[in-house]
Amino acid sequence: MLLVRDVLDKQMVDRHGNRMGKVDGVVIRWADDGAPRVVYLEAGAVTLARRLGRRLGHWAAGLAHRWGGRHTESYRIPWNRVRAVTLELSVDVDAEETRVNVVEDWLRQHVVEHIPGGRK
Amino acid sequence: MSQTEIHLELLLGRKVHDSRGRPVGRIEEVTASREDLECVVEEFHLGPHALLERLSLPLIRVFRGRGHGVRRVPCDRLDLSDPMRPRLTCALEELPVEPD
Amino acid sequence: MKRLVEIALGVVTGIGGFLEAGSLATAAQAGADFRFDLIWAVILGAACLAFLVEMCGRLSAISKHTVPDAMRERFGFRFFMVPLVIMQLVMYLVMATELGGVAIALQLVSGVSYRWWSIPVGLLAWALLWKGTFGLIEKGVSVLGLVTLAFVVGAFHLHPPLADVLHGAIPRLPSHDRAHYWFLAVSILGASISPYLFFFYSAGAVEDKWDVSHLSINRITAGAGMGFGGIVAIGALVVAGVVFHPAGVKVDSFEQLPILLTSALGHWGFILFVASLAVACFGAAQEIALTSAYLMAQGFGWRWSENLPPSDDARFSLTYTLMTALACLPALLGVDVLKLTNISMVVSAASLPVVVLPLLVIMNDRRYLRDYPNGWFANTVVSAIVVLAFALAVASFPLLLTGGG
Repeated sequence: MLLVRDVLDKQMVDRHGNRMGKVDGVVIRWADDGAPRVVYLEAGAVTLARRLGRRLGHWAAGLAHRWGGRHTESYRIPWNRVRAVTLELSVDVDAEETRVNVVEDWLRQHVVEHIPGGRK
Repeated sequence: MSQTEIHLELLLGRKVHDSRGRPVGRIEEVTASREDLECVVEEFHLGPHALLERLSLPLIRVFRGRGHGVRRVPCDRLDLSDPMRPRLTCALEELPVEPD
Repeated sequence: MKRLVEIALGVVTGIGGFLEAGSLATAAQAGADFRFDLIWAVILGAACLAFLVEMCGRLSAISKHTVPDAMRERFGFRFFMVPLVIMQLVMYLVMATELGGVAIALQLVSGVSYRWWSIPVGLLAWALLWKGTFGLIEKGVSVLGLVTLAFVVGAFHLHPPLADVLHGAIPRLPSHDRAHYWFLAVSILGASISPYLFFFYSAGAVEDKWDVSHLSINRITAGAGMGFGGIVAIGALVVAGVVFHPAGVKVDSFEQLPILLTSALGHWGFILFVASLAVACFGAAQEIALTSAYLMAQGFGWRWSENLPPSDDARFSLTYTLMTALACLPALLGVDVLKLTNISMVVSAASLPVVVLPLLVIMNDRRYLRDYPNGWFANTVVSAIVVLAFALAVASFPLLLTGGG
């Protein structure tokens, strides 16, 4: 398996087949006393911002802290949840439960639902 | 350096130098194997041919030739204590070279 | 039977959706300035569009991934930022001209300046996206868009010399005003081969849940839909060639254009023109707003679908909301809509390589296309289009400066 070709930037799909975002980052844990392993998949705007530049990453992280408090924007999915690696990554989680999208929820509560017709 | 975490996406494209300071190539791809629920990193592939490999551009097979093929670096030969400046723990010549 | 309905809908969408502010403006100017000599550009544009659209549909049907999905997944996020930023800029300009086109249509009917109409039009376009579904937008655009066939009818009514019309279908070098000729050729191609159309079509294939069984529908929709759509643009060009060219009229604004159809169809011509302009531009504006949102959502991995209520895909919905709001500004501020159209067509043409080249690579990737990758013929055609796209990109801005307006 090639991590860049097959994992990074690929679509994640939850256990119900719903789209769950793209893999924005891959976290490798490098222990001196063992082979390095992929431990997490990361998704979030901060992770993306960092890929464009360090300063941008710092700025985005700062924003995320101010808005989200404890919740940073980037969400981590443990590798052991990955079931299959095909054109997408099938991940054994429920997109609804994981609240991958802190920004999505915030926008829904504070913007969309205040616009006429926005409330379901 | 135990339990250091490194972001793969930030390693992409970084220039790697060998133990003597000579440039080897940029990190373009990383191979791994799945064992049960784990994913073990095996090799780092460097150099322009590795980029083509990642992009799986079949058309480019014609243009290989002048070149060293893909430079494969086993993970134990890469020192990532400074992720911004990856270094080989050995000299260039000691790397296995894949001709294809 | 159901398949027949789908095919019919697809073809009708192609026909009804082809004409919009850009293709109308460029066709009118081309007819006025060069009579029928630029018909070949419309044909070339429609043909390229048909090929590219078929590929995007095939990609989405087989892989269930859209073009922006594939671009990010295949080439990585950093690369993806380039087409993302460029396309959003292009789409913004084009959408501003579409909203402007609707506003001008309303000005023609009401006498109230188009600047006042800008916001109401934007609001209506947004409201239909907010509350509507993909099927509604798609069918609305297609069925209402058929009013643009008035140009084809008008062209027949004017009895243009058939030999001259056919003559214009053959590419030729200009006899006069070279820079302006090529500027219009580039603009026509930019108006026909709009990248936003590929993204919209590919997202639509996923919204409509296309699969392998839809491949023939895809081919017919792309071929017949875009093909016949080109005929509508040719109709507009021919009408302009008959009405404007002999009189030496220079097309400077959309307000001059109703005479095209009143000359051909009398009193009804005015109503049909206004309706055509309004409907064609409105439909295009909605498509572009959606495409802007599709591009962001698919590239960044957000939840997306026009079939979802906005509260279920907040970022997606707010993207098209923001785009619509911003696109109202130029018309509101009184920007010359025709001039803006000319600029946006050229910018659109210049942006083509950024989309078509990655598409060429993706269409050969068996992980996406499985048993249906491009064959040698399709690859040859797309490669030729890539070369054309680069030529357009290089030539567009110099031509805009030397031959524009």
